[in-house]
Amino acid sequence: MRRTLGLYLRLISIQLRSQMQFRFSFWLDVLTTGLLNVSYFFSTYLVLQRFGNIAGWTIPEVAFLYGMIEVAFGTMDMVFSGFDPDFFSVFIRQGTLDQVLLRPMSVAAQIFGSSFVLRRIGRIGQGAAVLIYALVTLDIHWTPAKVVYLPVVLLSQVLAMGALFMVGSTLVFWTVQRVEAINVVTYGGVEVMSYPATIFPTWLRGFFTYIFPFIFLNYYPALYFLDRPDPLGFPVWAPFFALPAALLMLLAAWRFWTFGLSKYQSTGT
Amino acid sequence: MPEMIRVEGLQKTFRVMERRPGLRGAVLNLFAPRHRMVQAVNAVSFSLQAGELVGYLGPNGAGKSTTIKVLTGLLVPTAGEVQVNGVVPWKVRERYVRQIGAVFGYRSTLWWDLPVIDSLELLQPMYDIPPARFRSNLAEFSRLLDLEPFINTPVRSLSLGQRMRADICAALLHEPHLLFLDEPTIGLDVVAKEHIRQFVSHVNRQRGVTVLLTTHDLSDVERLCERVMILDLGRLLYDGSLAGLNDAFESFWSLKVDFAEDYADVNLPGLPAPRREGRQAVYAFDHRELSSAELIRRLLERFAIADLEVRRPPLEETIRRIYQEKLLVDGERGQAV
Ligand SMILES: Nc1ncnc2c1ncn2[C@@H]1O[C@H](COP(=O)(O)OP(=O)(O)O)[C@@H](O)[C@H]1O
Ligand SMILES: [Mg+2]
Repeated sequence: MRRTLGLYLRLISIQLRSQMQFRFSFWLDVLTTGLLNVSYFFSTYLVLQRFGNIAGWTIPEVAFLYGMIEVAFGTMDMVFSGFDPDFFSVFIRQGTLDQVLLRPMSVAAQIFGSSFVLRRIGRIGQGAAVLIYALVTLDIHWTPAKVVYLPVVLLSQVLAMGALFMVGSTLVFWTVQRVEAINVVTYGGVEVMSYPATIFPTWLRGFFTYIFPFIFLNYYPALYFLDRPDPLGFPVWAPFFALPAALLMLLAAWRFWTFGLSKYQSTGT
Repeated sequence: MPEMIRVEGLQKTFRVMERRPGLRGAVLNLFAPRHRMVQAVNAVSFSLQAGELVGYLGPNGAGKSTTIKVLTGLLVPTAGEVQVNGVVPWKVRERYVRQIGAVFGYRSTLWWDLPVIDSLELLQPMYDIPPARFRSNLAEFSRLLDLEPFINTPVRSLSLGQRMRADICAALLHEPHLLFLDEPTIGLDVVAKEHIRQFVSHVNRQRGVTVLLTTHDLSDVERLCERVMILDLGRLLYDGSLAGLNDAFESFWSLKVDFAEDYADVNLPGLPAPRREGRQAVYAFDHRELSSAELIRRLLERFAIADLEVRRPPLEETIRRIYQEKLLVDGERGQAV
């Protein structure tokens, strides 16, 4: 395990070194993605200001939802970039997985080490700015439990969305092309998690509760942090189901991944 | 000599999705996928002893790469048994790949964007090579393969020949017992080919590395291998010595005769009429039934002869015939397959 971690860090440092080779274009990229996201949030902000609230949530409260998921998704997109289906389908098509299988190191660790898109710090930074705005503006009643739980929720979100990346990449073993359907769940899930769950139709909420349990990853924890009542009548433990939900998703994804890998056919020449 | 590789009844069938064109096709592909089975390797059996250098020969699509991929643990076969150095490759992948080296001619196993030296140095912790061993191996291979001029160049900027040399070095730094080379000379010029052949021969002799080499270039085999296995359409057609190949397959030799005088009729009883051109005639004969000495004696009895030349067909032709006629044969040590 320690050996694998050491090798992983070496692979990542190589990634970073080659990305920093073009320092100027790198920072330009970070800046533009960051600005793009900020302007997106700002336009939403202007719309919201008209209405004053969404389903009874004030702007800073929505900013809390949005900031959390942006920080988590940006982090996930950076750490799991090797499992990004868009990246992995190319990885398979070019036969790079053969190279990975020839090395005496865990396949998953090598895939984690094969891509680390540092540029995502643009999105993370932008999300963090919105989150800080929310935390400063909102009058959150902080308790030690809440302070500890906040990073746990962020971690759970990273793992849960990473699990979706992994599922998407596993599908590539059969299809070779990336599968749009899973991207819809991943990116759609991010959208859904940025808003109060009650604004969505019941079927969509059900989908993100019982099939992909994203509702427990952002909406319910937010109810807890903001001391809001639960309009949907879930059990009282619902806000604390974030980590178990994420671990379940990750476990299922991992099982699927190992199964898919065993079906790998390599590519012809 | 201990047995290094044992393959019995190896079969690999690929399931290939048939893509139908158009929008309707795309929908059908998604909901009612149609598959085609491609049998890449079929009932292949062979065994390699430690220290051998064996050529695995066959035209494009014969199933060579597929066999190598099974032997290197990349693919799980559909049926059959494979044991390499006492283990089943794909079952203990991480442990197994430490003992082998593999080079694929059409695709580098190195990190594309890294300078060669960085790629090689990454292998040291990955294979847990003791640093001193690593340095001495690197120095030796770098000298023999002449890596120095491009050791700081990123892999993606190397010429094909340079890349192949770097790849071969990478495959051997951890001192594997066994080296798989899949088309190591593909696309190279004569000089580069020779360089690689020399090196392969060196590691086989000096380090006792067992080598299995696939190629469709006969000169690789003629230069390096005493033993060849010939594969086509997934079936093993021949497994035996290179020398035995001609004897086994090519029964028809030819005898070219320059007559000293003009003869109207130069036919010999029991032989097909020769191809004639002026005073020259070419007889085709089955050397297993009629020795060249006997044929010459009979000719000398009847005609005045200026010159004679016995010709065995070139290896290329023999092998082309094997492919064309799908001859299955008992090689020296080969079994009827
Ligand atoms: N990953 C794969 N998926 C589907 N078909 C394949 C794959 N790899 C090889 N094949 C098919 O199997 C056959 C043998 O291929 P291969 O082993 O690459 O032959 P060779 O290396 O002798 O040229 C070919 O018909 C090829 O198209
Ligand atoms: Mg091939």
